[in-house]
Amino acid sequence: MTPPEATARQDEGAAEKPPETQAAKDEAVAVKPEAPPAAPPVAESPGPAPKVKSKAPVPEKPPAPPPLDLTSLEKRLRETDAIGVFTKLTLKNQVDDLLDRFQAHYEGRAKSTLPELRQPFDLLILKVLSLLQDRDSSLAGAILASREAMWGILADPVKFQKLVVQNRG
Amino acid sequence: MIKTIKDWTAVIVIGALSAGTAIAADELAKDLTSTIALLGLPCGQVISAQRLGDNDYLATCKDKNRYRVYVNAQGRVVAEKR
Repeated sequence: MTPPEATARQDEGAAEKPPETQAAKDEAVAVKPEAPPAAPPVAESPGPAPKVKSKAPVPEKPPAPPPLDLTSLEKRLRETDAIGVFTKLTLKNQVDDLLDRFQAHYEGRAKSTLPELRQPFDLLILKVLSLLQDRDSSLAGAILASREAMWGILADPVKFQKLVVQNRG
Repeated sequence: MIKTIKDWTAVIVIGALSAGTAIAADELAKDLTSTIALLGLPCGQVISAQRLGDNDYLATCKDKNRYRVYVNAQGRVVAEKR
């Protein structure tokens, strides 16, 4: 499945690239003498307009996700008054159980696939959010915002192993 | 006059302590309710909790279920039906 797709993409790229490259070369040749870096903006204004049109549209980058600070989230979860001690310990047990399932998956001891592990992950996040949303909405928001970043760590065997080593240490 | 002030002070102190205890009991009941729910057991809401020991409670639920909720030697929270 993957190789034909990859080949198809390469072919598409090969079909598209030459005109782009040629256009870029033409531009470079045309623009260089006309637009020196110190030229005033008014003088440049007629020049750049066709330059933008001739280039392929650049896809807009999605906004960068917030940086994930697992240590801070864990500390906030430990210290919040929104949930009691038994509840926190039960959640910790369930997080550990989920990490064990990922470990078993990566070690080939379990037949569960990553998409199958996504479900218990989502369920656990929902449990945490439902416990926090009324009494510590700020922490609930932070966890919600970090959800995909957390999954990104769990779904990557290298990042996951780093996390496991950190937790043991 | 002094006796009246002393009486009122006693009433306020006892009232505050009772309120504190009630709040603590309410928090414990909520904690046990969440715990039993997280463990996937039927309960609804914990209406009373009796302390059996350190980290060990007998919780009575609104639906009449009763659970012993405690932390076992492995550090896991367990709810045993009673």
